[in-house]
Amino acid sequence: MRRLVGTLGLLAAALTLGCAEQLIAPGDCPDFCPNGQIVLVDTVFTTIITRDSAYRGYLQPYQSAQAAATEIPGVQSRPFFKLAPVPMRVKAVPGSATDTSTVRIFADSSRLRVAIVRKDTAAPNLRVQLYALPLTVDSTTTFTDLDPSFSGPIVDSVNVSDLLTRPLIRDTTLDRALGDSIRTDSAGHVLLIAPADSTYYLYFSLDTLQAPLTEVDSGRLAFGVRVVADTAVSVGFGTNESSTNGPVIEWFYHFTLTDSVNAKTDSISRVPSFDSFVFDPPNAPLDSNLAIGGAPSARSLIRVTIPPALRDSIDVVRATLLLVPVTPVNGVASDSFHIVARQVTTDLGAKSPLGNDAAGSVVIHPGVSDTVRLEITDMVRSWVLLDTLSTTAFMLSPLPEATSFTEARFYSSLTPAFRPALHVTFVRRFPFGRP
Amino acid sequence: MRALALVVLILVVAGGRLAAQDSQFGIQGLGTPGKQESVRSRSAGGAFAAFDASSPLIDANLADIRRLSGSITGATSWRDVPADSGQVTLRGTRFPALVIAGPILRRLSIGGGFSTYLDRSYGITTRDTLIIRGDSVPVADQITNDGGVTDVRLAAGIRVGRALAIGAGIHMLTGSSRIVAKRVFPDSGDYRPTTSRDEVAYEGLGASVSALLDVGRDLRLAGWYRSDSKLRADLGGRTVAENDLPVSYGGALLWSPGNQVVFAGSTQWHTWSVAGAGVNAHDTFNWSLGAEIGSVGSPFRVGLRGGQMPFGANGAPTETGASAGLGRQFAGGRGRIDIGIERLVRKDDRLTEKVWTMLLGVSVRP
Repeated sequence: MRRLVGTLGLLAAALTLGCAEQLIAPGDCPDFCPNGQIVLVDTVFTTIITRDSAYRGYLQPYQSAQAAATEIPGVQSRPFFKLAPVPMRVKAVPGSATDTSTVRIFADSSRLRVAIVRKDTAAPNLRVQLYALPLTVDSTTTFTDLDPSFSGPIVDSVNVSDLLTRPLIRDTTLDRALGDSIRTDSAGHVLLIAPADSTYYLYFSLDTLQAPLTEVDSGRLAFGVRVVADTAVSVGFGTNESSTNGPVIEWFYHFTLTDSVNAKTDSISRVPSFDSFVFDPPNAPLDSNLAIGGAPSARSLIRVTIPPALRDSIDVVRATLLLVPVTPVNGVASDSFHIVARQVTTDLGAKSPLGNDAAGSVVIHPGVSDTVRLEITDMVRSWVLLDTLSTTAFMLSPLPEATSFTEARFYSSLTPAFRPALHVTFVRRFPFGRP
Repeated sequence: MRALALVVLILVVAGGRLAAQDSQFGIQGLGTPGKQESVRSRSAGGAFAAFDASSPLIDANLADIRRLSGSITGATSWRDVPADSGQVTLRGTRFPALVIAGPILRRLSIGGGFSTYLDRSYGITTRDTLIIRGDSVPVADQITNDGGVTDVRLAAGIRVGRALAIGAGIHMLTGSSRIVAKRVFPDSGDYRPTTSRDEVAYEGLGASVSALLDVGRDLRLAGWYRSDSKLRADLGGRTVAENDLPVSYGGALLWSPGNQVVFAGSTQWHTWSVAGAGVNAHDTFNWSLGAEIGSVGSPFRVGLRGGQMPFGANGAPTETGASAGLGRQFAGGRGRIDIGIERLVRKDDRLTEKVWTMLLGVSVRP
């Protein structure tokens, strides 16, 4: 008996002290569930967005990483770039410390690379045309200034759609020179599609008439780019600011040293000293509406007054900004862009510092006039839950910025019928303590 | 050395949670009332609780304590609850009673301790589909409540004659619940999961009186009465709910026809309906019968119990049970281990809940 009690006692002790809890079971409501339940409320706050404003000038066209080339009804956009100068002379006696005389170099040919980073796959028979521009182009150059040059002779033209139908060429020489498989046409144009991001790299082989290396200009050249297709077309070219996708020209030249009768050959690469794009018509001046996009880029500052009802709620599970477009965004499908919301850390108006992370983003499709819905749940949640003293404002900016003429306009709070609103789904405070 | 080990064991055990076993029938009410019984009493269906000083049911039985003593009750339950997909087995370990008592005068003893008054530990999950913003959005909720109300008792029992002992006690009802309410949206990335949590504190007061009367050598009678005030639920210092608590009364009989066998029976009533219609409260009546067979040093116990539970949306649920157990004294009667097993079936028109409980009790008289 004593041994039995001892054994059972140890067993009972082990079960009593060692048992893990499991108290959660599927609820059989309403009879066997707590009276207090999680209550969800879905409300559109139509008047809590106030003092919303639009500002322009954050990023200039020449500061952007892309340049739009567009030919659509009513809008034309043309990238241009001015290539950096080339040293026109080399030392006559290489390696000599005493002989500082030089000899002139003479261009044999050049190869110009441009990159299409935003493609328009819907445009048939897409051609990229190069035009020679005056070297005076700079940040003040307008579309009208360049229009005569674009009405002049074409330096070179390549049919991208045709190149895309050509068979892939791959050999070890090409791999060394260009890095991957290419397509080429009879005029020597080359299309290389980057494996990483499908960027189209277009190579133009230019002779000295198309790309003259003149000493008086120190080898500087300026080119404008125009795209044409059988339909409306809009693409984006990489610029110098993109660091890897800007235009590059490689000059192939020869020179004859003083003590030699044979010419030597060499090459040198140059990137633009300036690049930008111009378009017509320019973006309309800012008015009472909100504007996001365009070039120079416009952003809109949205200030939110959190209502007491939301402060008293325990949690926001979804918050959506509702924006009513004034007009559909002009452009073709490839002109779609993102609108990104970033938290304003301190409200200083147009120059407010912004948070690093996007609080939400939405794609804007040209030609669509539906209400734009931008999810900003985490940001609104942080205002209500985490830091009730934080600045309840955010900035709407385009992404990419200042790369195109495309600009979205939305009604502001000055238009009561279509003003921005916040659609919030929140959970009411749980009735703790009530049986 | 053994006594020291036992005291250490009691302290370890008492460091755990004081609560009774839970029940689905307590979710919508104030909770699941605790069983104020030692393992010895509970193994015999609860019938001996009025006569067992280790059970905190009444106070008069403290008068029989002649040495400082302490006892702890531990219980592990496996509870089968019906669910959509069949049965779910829930587990819980509780320490529903702790009593420490001892004499201060020749006829007067005082005691105190803790016992579970209401257990409020449960967790439920529910699934639903809501129409939000014109779309059907599946949601999954989980509400967990961990805690309960503990009865902290200070009592005295005095023998006022050879046949009569009386007792009285005051009860402070205290405790808390940690409540967590979660909602997730399993199929939607647009909606963020939400969790809210808080801790509710409970407070109340009660008083009890009781008497034990020996009628001859073989028969002992017990009667008790207890009144509790209101149970107040406070959240951050603000009262969010207040419910009246019941008056409880009962009687019990103990018959010892010989040295090797003792029979007992008890009845008790609780006016839980005063707690209010909002918690689906009902008055309850409970009975128990039990026997202890064998020597005092190593008895075998069996018992039956029946009655009602106070909270239920479909009338008062019933609770029936059977139990059995063994006990063993050691260290010259200075220590005792009791083990028991209990089977309870609780049901109403819609739900049947079946519970196995393993009981372990340790008592020391250092």
